[in-house]
Amino acid sequence: MVELRGNFHEELDAVRDLIVTLAAHVTEAIPRATEALIDNDLQLAQEVIQRDIELDVLSLQIEERCYALIALQQPMASDMRSIVTAMKINGEYERSGDLAVNICKGLRRSYGMTLSPALRGLITSMNEEAVRLTRLSVDAYAERDVGLAAALPDIDDRLDDLQVDFIQAIFSAHQNGELQLQETVQLALIARFYERIGDHAVNIGERVLYMVTGESPESVGEARDKLAEEFGHAIDGDLFDVDEAESE
Amino acid sequence: MVNLTPSEQTRVNEAMLKGMRVSADEEAAELKNDGAAITASEPVDAEFDPEDLVFDASDLSVFYGDFRAVRDVNMLIKRNEITALIGPSGCGKSTVLRSFNRMNDLIPTARVQGNLLYRGVDLYDPRVDPVEVRRRIGMVFQKPNPFPKSIYDNVAYGPRVAGRKKGLDDVVESSLKKAALWDEVKDRLQESAIGLSGGQQQRLSIARAIAVDPEVLLMDEPCSALDPIATARIEELMAEIKDEYTILIVTHNMQQAARVSDRTAFFSVEVDETSDRRTGLLVEYTTTEKLFSNPDDDRTENYITGRFG
Repeated sequence: MVELRGNFHEELDAVRDLIVTLAAHVTEAIPRATEALIDNDLQLAQEVIQRDIELDVLSLQIEERCYALIALQQPMASDMRSIVTAMKINGEYERSGDLAVNICKGLRRSYGMTLSPALRGLITSMNEEAVRLTRLSVDAYAERDVGLAAALPDIDDRLDDLQVDFIQAIFSAHQNGELQLQETVQLALIARFYERIGDHAVNIGERVLYMVTGESPESVGEARDKLAEEFGHAIDGDLFDVDEAESE
Repeated sequence: MVNLTPSEQTRVNEAMLKGMRVSADEEAAELKNDGAAITASEPVDAEFDPEDLVFDASDLSVFYGDFRAVRDVNMLIKRNEITALIGPSGCGKSTVLRSFNRMNDLIPTARVQGNLLYRGVDLYDPRVDPVEVRRRIGMVFQKPNPFPKSIYDNVAYGPRVAGRKKGLDDVVESSLKKAALWDEVKDRLQESAIGLSGGQQQRLSIARAIAVDPEVLLMDEPCSALDPIATARIEELMAEIKDEYTILIVTHNMQQAARVSDRTAFFSVEVDETSDRRTGLLVEYTTTEKLFSNPDDDRTENYITGRFG
């Protein structure tokens, strides 16, 4: 096949590689934040917070390259979907990086608290699930793996369950006097940060489905129905599908 | 039509209209038997009002002699929509466009196979008058082609040929206004059209085409000789007049198709290994939004993303 827009498609590949790099940074930031939390390590927490700027720079770079590609190349079809997807998931990864920072900030606000082995175990599990989901989401993106992308919501269920268990555990610890109210609140927020990282991975999976197939899970459902109700089936293109009409 | 004075032209027109009624009636079936292949259009979709069906092309092929230039054209064209025909050179998109107002009749060896219905009437029925076809289905060409006459006479040409003598001033003014040229030329209507800029000449061509009150405008790369500003004017003009006309446009500029059209037809070309002959074919025809965001056919995808097979 003759490639007529070689430079453009190389540039698209470069954006994809940057996204993968960004995701790799995020998957490193999450366990480091967790390590800081479990070890009560303020210095490590500070490092994670400071290194987030590298993530932000990378994210900004990706965004601006996407703008340039849209402005200069007028992408269409799968190229257009690739760029839109890159822009969307760029934001998702950047946000996941911020959540790792938030975990560190949560540690700062509750510095000195003692975590029971049970709580530490749950935090470690949430960390592992959050990292796993982030890694799987970027695998799905880089490999254009529709099956994996579609499986992410189910995989995320485990993280959601862990969060519920963790909240119950800290409430009990608070009632037993093991945790102060302020510490309990901070830990509840931290659990929420892990859970949100999982949600971002699920969102990324949806964007990958859109990138590869042109349809995302958001293409169906209540919002889509309402949109169709208000604006008609502007994009389905079957208005003139004679075969379909005749078979009905 | 109402304004035309009695003349030979109107008699011809009536003959054609008669032909239209005949073929829309049950006599269509009779004609079908002698190979004229006339079918009345049927409602194709619950959402689709048959009143809105302007063209119905089914299994249309166009031949030049023995050579089939384009095949597999199945298109329904909806009223007051802009339909874009895109594809690489030699894919037959201009040939198809020209078959929609029988412009190919001017090429002795050209002929069509399959059905092409306009308002339920077979355009290639021998009883159909090609002159009347071209009045109802106007054409704007790639290069602006003003007649070496005054601006006024260019626009008044069509109505005059049709026998109209009164109210020409009004026709000229309203046509030039619709073509967004009036303000620029109203003070020099008697000057030669050749003195206009390329963009103005093209808008004059559009004014001339709509002066005879057509229903359809066929545009064959109308902006390819124009600069971006003049192109934008024509595109804006198309959007303004689509409430009154049904427009088909052939364009090499995919972005233009994406900007202006409601539906897009992508044509491709197949090369015969032995004869090295190239035959065009319709690959995909759907809403413009769908075609440019998520086309169904890989050939469409490859073409619009610049990956040619």
